[in-house]
Amino acid sequence: MTLVLDQVSKSFGGLAALSNVSFKVTEGEIVGIIGPNGAGKTTLFNLITGIFPPTAGKITYQGKDLLGLRPYKVTELGLARTFQNIRLFGHLSPLDNVMVGAHCRTKAGVWKGLWRTPAQRKEEKATRERAQTLLKLVGVEEDIDSPASSLPYGQQRRLEIARALATEPEIILLDEPAAGMNENETDDLRLLIKKIQTMGKTVVLIEHDMNLVMNVCDRVMVINFGQMIAEGTPAEIQQNPLVIEAYLGREEG
Amino acid sequence: MDMLLNQYYLQIAVFVMVNAILGVSIYLTLSTGQLSLGNAGFMSIGAYTCAILTVKAGFPVYLAIPIGGIAASLMSIIIGFPALRLTGIYLAIATLGFGEVVRVIVLNLKITNGALGISGIPTLGTKISKMLSSFGLPQKFGGLSVQQTSTLLVLLILVLILVFLVFFCVRLNRSRVGRAFAAIKADESAAEAMGINTTYYKLLAFALGALIAGIAGGLSAHLTFFIGPKDFAYHRTVEILLYAVLGGSDLVFGPIVGALILTLLPELLRSASNYRLMIYGALLVTMMAFRPQGLISEETVRFWKSKLGRGSK
Repeated sequence: MTLVLDQVSKSFGGLAALSNVSFKVTEGEIVGIIGPNGAGKTTLFNLITGIFPPTAGKITYQGKDLLGLRPYKVTELGLARTFQNIRLFGHLSPLDNVMVGAHCRTKAGVWKGLWRTPAQRKEEKATRERAQTLLKLVGVEEDIDSPASSLPYGQQRRLEIARALATEPEIILLDEPAAGMNENETDDLRLLIKKIQTMGKTVVLIEHDMNLVMNVCDRVMVINFGQMIAEGTPAEIQQNPLVIEAYLGREEG
Repeated sequence: MDMLLNQYYLQIAVFVMVNAILGVSIYLTLSTGQLSLGNAGFMSIGAYTCAILTVKAGFPVYLAIPIGGIAASLMSIIIGFPALRLTGIYLAIATLGFGEVVRVIVLNLKITNGALGISGIPTLGTKISKMLSSFGLPQKFGGLSVQQTSTLLVLLILVLILVFLVFFCVRLNRSRVGRAFAAIKADESAAEAMGINTTYYKLLAFALGALIAGIAGGLSAHLTFFIGPKDFAYHRTVEILLYAVLGGSDLVFGPIVGALILTLLPELLRSASNYRLMIYGALLVTMMAFRPQGLISEETVRFWKSKLGRGSK
C-alpha cells in the first residue's frame, strides 16, 4: 500500500465537498476516479498534494503522514500531479517547463549557476537530456523555441504530464488528461498512460471519458456528492446499479 | 575631447550607471513576479550604513560598500518572512510602508544626523584622484585633468559592477534557480506543486534585490558629499519602479534601458524644464496604453533574432 486515505473529509464553510472517503492505492496499478461534475474529485487531489488540508481524516504515503506538508514537500516525496485547467509556465519553452519539473531532484544553487562549475554543467546536461527524453515519450517536439502557451491544446496536456514525470514521482495524479482531446488523441493518451505504468509508476486518473477509464484502469472508484459510492474493476463498476443510477445512468436516460 | 568629457557629462554618466544598478535590483525581485516598492528603503540602509562606517568609524570605502549591501540584504530577509506572504498590490503597499518607516527612523536617529543628513562623505572621485597624485601623476595626463581622470575611473568601476550584474542575471536565467524564478512568476501554485520551495526562492530574489539596492545606495553615498533622508523618499521608489515600467521587466536589459532613458531625459529636457513633468507623464501614459510590457520584452528579442536571420542563440 503506498497511498492510503483514511476517513478523509473536507468542507468549505458549510458545504461538505468530501465526506469520509477512504481508499488505498497499491504500487503499480492504474486507479480511475470517476464521478459527476462537482463530486469532489479534484478536491481529493488538492488534499493529497497539500494544496489545502482536510477537515478530518488521515492521508499517508508509504507510512508517512502527508498532513501539514507544503505541496513542494509532497512532490519531493514522490507524488506529482497535472491540473484540470492546464497550468503550464506559459512563457517558458516546452523544454524549460519540463526542466523546471526536475527542480526538486537537482541541487545547483545561485553560486554554482553563476560560475557554471563542472558539477553544475554536468547536472544541467543530465537534466536537459532527461527532459528531452520525457518530451519524446509524451510526443511533444523537443526543440521548440516558442512559448509553451502557443502549443496546441492536446500537446499542452501532454507537456503537463512530461513536467510531472520530470519530478520523478512514484505516483502520478492525472486530473482529466483527456479533456478536450479528440478520439485519436485520447487513444494515444491511453497508450501513454500504459507506458507510464510499465515504467514502474502508479497512476491515479480522474477522467470523464468512460472509454478511456474502462480501457486503461485496473480499478475504478466512483465518487458522488463527496462520497465514495462504489469501487471495483471496470467490469464491476459498469454493472453496479448505484453507479448506473448516479452517473452512467444519466447518459443512457 | 575636452568637450565630450566635461565634468557635467561625466557626472550624468555616473548617475546613469547607479540608476542602472538600481534597475537591476528591481528586475531581480520582479523576476519572481513580486512587486516590491522597498528598494529605496534598502538603498537608504545601504547608503547610511556605508556613510556611517566611513565617516564615523573610518572604514575603507571598498569594505563599507559591500557591508552596506549586506546590511540591506539582512533587513530584507527580516521583513521578507512576513511580507512575502502577501502578493501583488498588498506586497507593494507593505514594502512601500517599509520604505517610509526607514525614512522616518533615519530622520529621528542621532547616528544618522536626522534631517541634516550626513555630510563630508569622502567621494570615490577624490579618493581616486588622491591616489593618482600619490602615484606622482602630473596635473595634466593625456590632455585630461586629474579630476576628469578620476571621474572616468569611477565610471569604469561602475561599468564593471553593472557588467558583472548583467552577467550574473543572464547566467542565473539559464540555470536551475532562474528557471525556478520564472516558474514562480508564471504560476506560483503550479511551481510549488512541481516541487519548488516558493517561499525560499521568493525570499532569495527579494534579498538579492535588496543586496544590489544596498550596494547602489553605498555607491551613491560615495559619489556625492552628502546624503539625507530626502534622497531615499517615496519619489525614489517610484523612479526605480519606472525604470522597469518603461524598459520592461522580462529581461535584465529592460530596466537598464529604462534607467538610461529616464536619467538622460530630464537633462535633455532642461531647456523645456517647465514642461518636464508633463512630458514625463505623457510618456508613461503612452507606454501603458500602447506597450504595457515595456520597451524590451521577450518578443522583442525573438523578433530581432528572426529578423537578423537567427544569429547566435
